[in-house]
Amino acid sequence: MTTFANALGSAAVLVTVGAVVVLWRHRLRSIVAALAVQGVALAATAALLGVHEHDRGLLVVAGLVLLVKAAVIPGLLARVVAATPGARESDPLVNVPASLVVAGLLTLGAFVAARPIVALVGGPTGKLVPLGLATVLIGFFTMVARRRAMSQVVGLLLVDNGIALVAFLVTSGVPVIVELGSTLDVLFGVVVLRVLLARLSALGFSDLDQLRSLHD
Amino acid sequence: MIVLALVAGLGVFATLAALASRAVRVQLVAGLLGLVEVVAGAAAIHVLATNRSIAGHTASLVPFTGVTIDLTPLGALFTLTTAVVALAATIHWVGYRRHAMSSVSASSAFALFVTSLLLVPAAGDVVTFLVLWEVMALSSLVLVAHDHAKRDEARQAAWWYGAMTQGGAALITLGLVVLAGHAANPGFSAIAASASHLPAATRGAVFLALFIGFGAKAGLVPAHVWLPRAHAEAPAPASALLSGAMVNLGIYGIVLARTLLGVGATWWWLVAGFFGVISALYGSLYAATSADLKRLLAYSTSDNMGLVVIGLSASGLFAARNPAASSLALVATLFLVTAHALYKSTLFLGAGSVQYATHERDLDRLGGLARTMPITTAVVVIGALAVAALPPLNGFGAEWLVVQSLVHGLTNADPVTTVTTALFVAALALTGGLTIVAFVKAVGVGFLGRARSESAERAREVPVSMRIAPAITAAACVIVGVAPGLAITAIARASDAVAPNRSGLAATLSGFHLEALRGAVDPLALALGAVAATLVVAGLRRAGGPRAGAKLRAFEPWGSGRAVTSARMQYTATSFAEPLQRVFDDVLAPQHDLDVSHALESRYYVERVAYASANDDIVERRLYRPVLALAAVLGVRARALANGSVHRYLAYGFVVLVIALVVVS
Repeated sequence: MTTFANALGSAAVLVTVGAVVVLWRHRLRSIVAALAVQGVALAATAALLGVHEHDRGLLVVAGLVLLVKAAVIPGLLARVVAATPGARESDPLVNVPASLVVAGLLTLGAFVAARPIVALVGGPTGKLVPLGLATVLIGFFTMVARRRAMSQVVGLLLVDNGIALVAFLVTSGVPVIVELGSTLDVLFGVVVLRVLLARLSALGFSDLDQLRSLHD
Repeated sequence: MIVLALVAGLGVFATLAALASRAVRVQLVAGLLGLVEVVAGAAAIHVLATNRSIAGHTASLVPFTGVTIDLTPLGALFTLTTAVVALAATIHWVGYRRHAMSSVSASSAFALFVTSLLLVPAAGDVVTFLVLWEVMALSSLVLVAHDHAKRDEARQAAWWYGAMTQGGAALITLGLVVLAGHAANPGFSAIAASASHLPAATRGAVFLALFIGFGAKAGLVPAHVWLPRAHAEAPAPASALLSGAMVNLGIYGIVLARTLLGVGATWWWLVAGFFGVISALYGSLYAATSADLKRLLAYSTSDNMGLVVIGLSASGLFAARNPAASSLALVATLFLVTAHALYKSTLFLGAGSVQYATHERDLDRLGGLARTMPITTAVVVIGALAVAALPPLNGFGAEWLVVQSLVHGLTNADPVTTVTTALFVAALALTGGLTIVAFVKAVGVGFLGRARSESAERAREVPVSMRIAPAITAAACVIVGVAPGLAITAIARASDAVAPNRSGLAATLSGFHLEALRGAVDPLALALGAVAATLVVAGLRRAGGPRAGAKLRAFEPWGSGRAVTSARMQYTATSFAEPLQRVFDDVLAPQHDLDVSHALESRYYVERVAYASANDDIVERRLYRPVLALAAVLGVRARALANGSVHRYLAYGFVVLVIALVVVS
């Protein structure tokens, strides 16, 4: 029991830490790598829950998450990053130390806000729900505070991973069909965004604020 | 129940039939709609004849609450009126089709509009009512916007109408939902049973919300601004339905509010009466000064709905101390609603025929139609006589009953009621006079005299169906006016559904008799007497004139012995209304622009004089324009919020999310 709780806790914390690393690192390559690690951690969470609950469906979901969120999506993004080697998030709207402080505050806030859910779910899984919420908030904050279009995409994926974590923990396993649907949605979104990013960089844009010139 | 399901089913079928090919579309839709109207009318007659409601409930169709149908005698009266008006409008539409309104969207919207108009009074619970109400509002909006591609005015009209009708619907929804929530049941009968337990303040607020919402639909001032635009821009069959059927349902709503909430406090009816008086005076004044035929009719609708609301207000005020007068006021009001539906749809269909034949709506460019379009002219004259409340037509009976109820309401009244009633009578008198001016102008300038434009001169009588359609409603005006017996019996039953009828009103072939209040009138005898007196005077004049054989030639006064040779020497609509406009200058505040340019050589020689006058709606100019301008300024300011930065937009969402979490936790 405690081994399960510890392993599950480690995996869930790793998901949130992945989000914090995205805020911390400047190099886009590292950011994508952090996203891949987060995907692995998310898959591990699902797999642990599946083993514990003897739910074969959840193991299938874990495999799916591992494939899409730890391999396919980071792979797609890595190819974009490889096109511009050494690309950095050089001048974020909120600098890194301040971002990390905000991330800490958001995590605290998530623990406060999630109290009703924790009480409702209970047990070792329930205690981890705030981590999912914190991941969502940090992901959203990444989108607000980072300039590069790539960071925006990663922020969106952080939000999605956070929601997935909450869903795994609260419902002890999402039906395969639901997870399949949402994962394919995200994959599709990333493919579209990848094409958009490629077009934008072909036009010489990589900072989203340059798009303000399109405003009427 | 099955009958009404049949109406709904056929109506949907007719809506879908609009997808048929262009060659048969209008005939097919019109045929099915005719069936819908006849079936609905027959159901309504059945309810009124047996005095038993058609009620039923089905759990399907709408989730959670299902659909409840309850066609009471009150609803049946409105459905029957709508059925007659809609039948005429449908017949008119068959002839109108080559002109316009034969597209898929217009045909289906027309079918949907007619069906929803027929079914709204049959709704037995809040959800059914609101769904049908919205279907009615949206389908009519499509018809108002029908000409949007070609005319900017049509687009404007659609915006105004859409905003007004949705704003009104929001208030109606609010009021009805509060009532349904308190009753824990959306059924109207359950609401009526439980509404008396509500706190007085809540009941008052609900009444106010419903009155404003339904009043906007009825075109009461100051929520009338959509009316002259929408009625003028919609194609004739649609404007006949708007003015002859949909506006009535606004009144139905106010009566429904009274049925649900009870008579309530005195201040409710003082508020209602205030807006009734304002609408009656304002509408009739603008009708008298308007030069556009359809705008004139639309303002007259506002005026008539004002009179109707005065009647409702009187009925509410008298309810506590004088039940007989209260009942009579209600009966008179309902009679006025049906009468208005009949004569106003006659006039709108007639105006549509004129527009079809001449492509003109401006009275200053019409004239001389009596010779080229005799049947249309005759029909319009009947409608105009009815709206001017002349015996023996139905308008006379209606207004006589309203006045009787006001006069008899004065007995045993408290001071507030007495003063209010006196003001009501004065408003009624002034309105009556102004209405006569408006319609003398409409008929005299538009149809008599000589043609003022080439298009008016080249007018030919319209196709048969367009002649028949207004003739149906005109005939109904005459029949109900001359023999009001059946109509009064039906209306008395309808008013019984609101409050027990104690008016003691009996109507026979020979007129109205007020047994409880001692009053009687015979419109037919009055009319025959007037005709006889005219004949006698004409005979005497002939007898007293020059001997037979002597040649008598008449000339225009001040015409120097010459006959009027030019159409431009006639009165125009504008010049006819000019003295009146001068009297009401402070109220109307018309805008004049006189531009005199002198010759270069001398100031005493005038080269050119340009004169422009605009008589636009003063409520719109002084009340709505500033509000809209303010909204536009705020809108421009608010654009600073959206500066194009993706980060800022994301930050808005993020901040709201965090705030929501803080609030929740």
